[in-house]
Amino acid sequence: MNADLVPGRHLPDFRLPDHVGNQRSLSDLAGGDPMLLHFYRGWWCPKEQAYFRKLLQLQDEAEVAYTRFVSVSVDTPEESAAFRAGLGARWTFLSDHERRCVHELGLLETTDRSHNPFVPTVLVLEPDLRIHAAFNGYWFWGRPTNEELRQAFRTITRSIRPDWEVPAR
Amino acid sequence: MSPCWVARCSTRPRGAIASATLGDDGSDGMLAAWQADDERQPGAVKIDPRCIDADGDAAWASLVLAPRGTWLLFDDVAVSHAIRSVLAGPPVDVVSTFVTGDDRFVGAITAVHDDEPTRLRDDPFAAIFPTCLVRVGPGLLGRTPTPVGPMTQRYGAANPWPWDRFPEARA
Repeated sequence: MNADLVPGRHLPDFRLPDHVGNQRSLSDLAGGDPMLLHFYRGWWCPKEQAYFRKLLQLQDEAEVAYTRFVSVSVDTPEESAAFRAGLGARWTFLSDHERRCVHELGLLETTDRSHNPFVPTVLVLEPDLRIHAAFNGYWFWGRPTNEELRQAFRTITRSIRPDWEVPAR
Repeated sequence: MSPCWVARCSTRPRGAIASATLGDDGSDGMLAAWQADDERQPGAVKIDPRCIDADGDAAWASLVLAPRGTWLLFDDVAVSHAIRSVLAGPPVDVVSTFVTGDDRFVGAITAVHDDEPTRLRDDPFAAIFPTCLVRVGPGLLGRTPTPVGPMTQRYGAANPWPWDRFPEARA
């Protein structure tokens, strides 16, 4: 995995079209919340389909937890939209179908010459795009469990919400 | 950016920051918008300010409004379900819930800058309160960014969804 994609480093604020085709920047998508940034190979990969099923279980918690999800692949916006709809995902999918970011981030999976996809990678980001945790998912067991993601989001949320220690008497 | 108010009215009221006719010939009156810190107009409801654009094109809108004196708690499961459906469904150009007070859901607007209202046929909010499909003239509706998801909550109790950041995060 790219040596820059480690905890403590800031991710570049890249822009890509979303599943609707609108250009979106990472910082705007974060919007002051913790964010799961998930690079996946493509709709066709069974490991990705299995991992999405895990993330779908977490979205029911994230929807009330002021936490964002963004998934990125080299699929086109149209493919991303169809895959997203089929999964029942309710978060933003970004399309790097021009394979610009995959090179800039050093995440090209060189063992797949036909798709030239992202190396499956999960980053948990703080609102300023600082990497809190990074997971290399080339082998499936390298990906974070939902419990590991909960722990990361708890730590970030505790650090960024001034009212984490709620005033009470 | 702070939330705006919108209200149906017969003519463009003084102080409105944007307004547009409703109906092909304006026979359905107007929809007008005000800044949230201005005096609230009778019947006005709070809307995501990103919906409002005085230079916006004409649009078709599904306008869902609670009957006078009627409202649901914003956290009612019917509202949450509709929001999930919006997040999962096909994109639209404009979407905002309407709120009053700290906790009252009183409707929603969903709009597209299309010549036909086809994409509005399945407005999830129409299952909650009565809706009308109406042509909105130019000068009111812009484009809201597609909600990031999967958040369904308001950022501050008195704010409409999908307005998606706390005050300290606003640039």
